[in-house]
Amino acid sequence: DSNQVCLCRETTKTCWIAALEDQDCPPLNYINVCLIVLQVQQMQVPASSNAASWKHNKTKSLRKLKNNFWEFLYYFTLWGRSLQKIGGNFGGGVQSYFLFLRFLVVLNFVSFLLIAGFVIIPSFVLGSAESGFVNRPCMTYDPNPNTLVAFYEYFLHLLSGTGFMEDSFMFYGYYNNNTGTEDGSRAYNIPLAYIFTAIFYFAFCLCCIIARSVAVATGGSTVGNYSMIVFTGWDFGCLGNQATKLKQKNIYYRLQVDLEEERIKKQAASLTPWRKVALYSLRILMFVVALGLIGAAFFGIFKATDFSQVRDGQPGFLGLLIEFLPSIVITTGNFLVPLLCDQIALIEKYSPSITVVMALLRAVVLRLVSLGILLFTLCSQITCSGNAEASACQQCRYDHEKYPCWETRVGQEMYKLMLFDLLVNIALLVCLCFLVCVRIVVDNWSCKLSQLVGRQEFVVPSNVLGLVYGQTVVWAGALFCPLLPLMNTIKFVILFYCKKITLFHNCRPALKTFRSTTSTFFFLVVLLFGWTLALVVMIYSLAVINPSMACGPFRFFPSMWKIVPNSFYCLSKVTQDFLFFIGSQAFSIPLFALSCVIMCYFVALASIYGKSVEMLKAQLKLEGQDKQFLVKQIERLKLQHLMPALRAEVQD
Amino acid sequence: MGTTASQLGKADLSEYQELTFLTKQEILLAHKRFTELLPKEEKNSTNARVPMTKILTLPELKSNPFKERICLVFSTTNPNDGSFSFDDFLDFLSAFSDSATLEIKSHYAFRIFDFDNDGTLSCGDLEKLVDCLTYESEDSRLTTEEMRQLITNILEESDIDKDGTVNLSEFQHVISRSPDFVSSFKIVL
Repeated sequence: DSNQVCLCRETTKTCWIAALEDQDCPPLNYINVCLIVLQVQQMQVPASSNAASWKHNKTKSLRKLKNNFWEFLYYFTLWGRSLQKIGGNFGGGVQSYFLFLRFLVVLNFVSFLLIAGFVIIPSFVLGSAESGFVNRPCMTYDPNPNTLVAFYEYFLHLLSGTGFMEDSFMFYGYYNNNTGTEDGSRAYNIPLAYIFTAIFYFAFCLCCIIARSVAVATGGSTVGNYSMIVFTGWDFGCLGNQATKLKQKNIYYRLQVDLEEERIKKQAASLTPWRKVALYSLRILMFVVALGLIGAAFFGIFKATDFSQVRDGQPGFLGLLIEFLPSIVITTGNFLVPLLCDQIALIEKYSPSITVVMALLRAVVLRLVSLGILLFTLCSQITCSGNAEASACQQCRYDHEKYPCWETRVGQEMYKLMLFDLLVNIALLVCLCFLVCVRIVVDNWSCKLSQLVGRQEFVVPSNVLGLVYGQTVVWAGALFCPLLPLMNTIKFVILFYCKKITLFHNCRPALKTFRSTTSTFFFLVVLLFGWTLALVVMIYSLAVINPSMACGPFRFFPSMWKIVPNSFYCLSKVTQDFLFFIGSQAFSIPLFALSCVIMCYFVALASIYGKSVEMLKAQLKLEGQDKQFLVKQIERLKLQHLMPALRAEVQD
Repeated sequence: MGTTASQLGKADLSEYQELTFLTKQEILLAHKRFTELLPKEEKNSTNARVPMTKILTLPELKSNPFKERICLVFSTTNPNDGSFSFDDFLDFLSAFSDSATLEIKSHYAFRIFDFDNDGTLSCGDLEKLVDCLTYESEDSRLTTEEMRQLITNILEESDIDKDGTVNLSEFQHVISRSPDFVSSFKIVL
């Protein structure tokens, strides 16, 4: 009878625990104890309650269903098994890079779905309003003059985004400006959808990044770290030798990371004052050197961009080379400077986690500001350095001769940057395969050479920077090239497999790994830097620069943002009043005050829980001391009882 | 109890289901696997015991570093030789099943980690535990210095009454803060 057993379980537990602790009791298993308790209880009148057993069964089946659902979902997680294998073989630090890459792939894919749903598909369905070659000043724009091209030119067009690619959904210039209000049949306002989708895309990415960084920051706790790993780290469901070895390696890496950091901290704390001063002055010197290196790289990029813009428009392969010159210089700088910074880091002797963070911050300054310089140079070319009276910019307020459709041009630059990055990574992989083959051949001849072309470590900071750089390029270019997130998804998927192959075939596990929770959090912080740069670009293009008059959805507006106030006055009076009210002070100040109050409440709650935990810990300590005191008392009393008997013996 | 007839009776089945945390299917599967391990002549005898060497050939236990400890903990022979009767086997599966409570699991985990069976986890126990968790080849073994540091840290974190060992309540205190102990302390046939 199941009702009886439910009530019996609690008693059984206590009896079984008591039986275990009783040294004189023979070894009993749980089933025997259960039987005995059941027999005892059957002698009493059972208070059966059907409701209790029904609820118990229901919670049990619900829990089972939930477990099955989570296991099912985990099976379908993207690249779940590969990531586990990477984590086991190379440690948490390298695994955090791949987890970050997976997060970016999912983010890009979801944003592509967003953009496709609101901009690309409606544009495709509703078609173009007007087309045709208009021969007026500021409005001469022909994206694809020669439809019949040589084969190699076709390939050049693919690489640089011109020609047939320019005249497609890829770039801003192809979208048209039908607002759907002229004839009542179409009710979709494409320019408004374009601008709102762009703004929502940025907001959505920001929310995802913040949500993930909160999850990461609160996921790992450093309190009780070692005991947690040792007592709860083993997974008893591991089947087979391979999985067991992987798990053991995993645990070994986790323990080693923390022990290494502690050892370095102890070492740092035990330095004599003189050595401390020497170390700090060395660190300051290296900081200045790193800054100098970064400054030199900036200068080089600025000069290259200037050169490329001045000598633009040359045909053939030389022209392509000049077009790609800024990207080449940027990629070379991004390759060399972190290498040098790594050498600097060896002298500085920080702990592994801090070394990673320092390398990351240094390299991010380099990469993002070099991208910013490129964009700034482009912008000053388009607007004639902000001088509206210059001869080229007088007619249309932007340089309409060099850039008849400047948004498409910016989109093309971003597309070229993204493509070049991908090509470099694939080229590195090919070089690597070649080196591995050479090593296999040379291995059979001499061992010294193979040691020279040995196995490298997988350097996480520079790889993460590559991801952040690629993502910033996509964000900056998404307003001008709506298909860029889709291409970035494909690029990152290819990158995942390239890096995985590189990792498994040419890298050895790092001798010292770093803590992955702090580093993942910093990856997201650095990603936010990139997001901010792209946001600045977007705000500037939306609000300040005049849209081109020859192409795009914002053809006849003084600025892209202007369409929003225009459409606003088309709404009904009630909606207008409501929106004015929400934006006014009468609403926003009480809202702000309310959110402050809620935040204070949660902070107070958290501090109270912390205090009660401390109090309970202190209580536990006191209990332990009480136990020891009582044990001592018992010993003393025992002795007191024995003493008279002993004395009696001695007297006899 | 203690039946090992080749067919498990219906009454026995439902009784086992009530007394353990296992479902009917799991008990039937356990019975099948247990009779496979028995030598031929003992297949129909009641109260048959399977020696430890045969238990260790189970694929679920074969590569588990704690396999000997599991056999010693769940066996009810006196003196302890690690052999299992069917009741012991069900006990083992019940403790490692999905529906066993955190208290039962933490209790058994404590007994498995207590290598010298003295009721507390001393430095020697902790050292053997860490070895089981990490030692798979010579190059991934912690050095003596690191081991000493690790054990000092563990005792500092979990030994609340500062007596140099981790007792059951301190162990359960650490376990209760881990969200996935229950799902990792699981063996399913």
